[in-house]
Amino acid sequence: MNAPYKPGDGILFMKVGVHARESLEDIIERKDKEIREAGYALWGYGGSTCHPSTMVQPFGEAIGARGKVIELCMEEINSKHFADPISAAEYSVNGTDWHEIPEAISVRGSRYALWIDNLRKAEFQLPLNQTQVPIGNSMGRNGGRYIKGRVDKACLEMLDGPQIPNDAPLRDIPISLVATLRKPYAVFLRGQR
Amino acid sequence: MNPLFSWLKRKRRPPATPSPVIPRPPHQVDLRRAINAISDVVQNRPRPLREFDQIHMKSGDMVFQSEIVADWADGKRLAFIGDGDAISVCVAYLQASDVLPFGPAHITVFDFDERTVNAVTRFAEAAGITNLDARLYNVLDALPDVEPYDCFYTNPPWGASNNGESVNIFVERGIEACRHGGEGMIVIADDDELDWPKQVLASVQRRAAEKGYYVSKMQRKLHEYHLDDAPDLRSCNLYISALPGNQAPGIPSSGITDPVRLENFYGRSKEARVHYVLERHRVNYGKAHDDEYELKLFGDSR
Repeated sequence: MNAPYKPGDGILFMKVGVHARESLEDIIERKDKEIREAGYALWGYGGSTCHPSTMVQPFGEAIGARGKVIELCMEEINSKHFADPISAAEYSVNGTDWHEIPEAISVRGSRYALWIDNLRKAEFQLPLNQTQVPIGNSMGRNGGRYIKGRVDKACLEMLDGPQIPNDAPLRDIPISLVATLRKPYAVFLRGQR
Repeated sequence: MNPLFSWLKRKRRPPATPSPVIPRPPHQVDLRRAINAISDVVQNRPRPLREFDQIHMKSGDMVFQSEIVADWADGKRLAFIGDGDAISVCVAYLQASDVLPFGPAHITVFDFDERTVNAVTRFAEAAGITNLDARLYNVLDALPDVEPYDCFYTNPPWGASNNGESVNIFVERGIEACRHGGEGMIVIADDDELDWPKQVLASVQRRAAEKGYYVSKMQRKLHEYHLDDAPDLRSCNLYISALPGNQAPGIPSSGITDPVRLENFYGRSKEARVHYVLERHRVNYGKAHDDEYELKLFGDSR
């Protein structure tokens, strides 16, 4: 393993590629600019594996209480995410109180977004078998068994060592892009502009 | 025959009190009609709100679960403590449309989501089901004064983050609805690999025992859900029955305000702050919402 993480560290793993008809290179360039101008960026996503208020926010609070931050670790894949490139107009931390998204930030084609900064290229292998789901209905499930099929993102916590399965090889995932999650960690999106 | 399908050839269960009624001949369930009936119910069901742990059971499992519940509660008054899945409607509809020749005498759904309550009453009215009703009720409030039920069913938030306390609160309301008698069917997570479902099962069984109930049956790993973040997680039917002579404590039902019990009610750091989910009324109920689509006409150059 060459992942720069220790037992107890918090990771949000996600596969990334084309999103809302925009290439990953273009997304990175745009998000870099947003971080420079607004101090943070909103990294859009969908699905219900990392629900903002039931998963990511409480996970962020738990990791924050240990004096640590969650790192967003992204595996680049060839995806065909053809959601419409509609920019959300508002965000909400709790799903009840809504705020306008600053002009400098554009988050497209997504229901949710991660609140990130320090977006950077990376090159290491994430040992999924040395992680486990720390929260929610899959709490305790090993990352190597959990990430499969439609589950393409997850809150994960690093373990002391890998859980070696009898029925499958160890899974090391190449990570090429990393960011740091900042409070409030994840938000809901709505509207369009 | 696959044991899952054995109920297709099952005889009607004899009534609890023997009577001179001539037993009916064996009844064969028309599986196609049963699945289509469940399809009608699913079509009518409001979309789940994940924030409140509303997670829908898969339709195939709803067919079997509905038959299990109809058989278990045959001829009885049945209270559903929460029912986002709409198993209550399936049970009543299968009976009302003669797909099943048995089922509860009466079903009441208690749910804090007005969309669920209205969906139940709308469906009952449209299908002519007279033994099914629903009331807006939050389990954190005192249970209203109701005619006693013989049994209760609950598929509550599974309590992964509070050691099953959210399950226990739903179960306690079911026990109150039955005046500390009768039986309950509790649908909760069941997984051999994870620790928390085992701890929750133990916690619920302990609490049931404290309330004068014992575990009378358990059907393991029966149901799958539309649960993207835990696609392998299944649930069981845990049956509890009141001990003979079990008595209500003689104090009225009261609201739950203990912050320890409310902590992590809908998941970690998610206390219960919503009293009711209210339905936004629309004239095109059950139809695709206007903002989902637009029409492009022949000859339209856009």
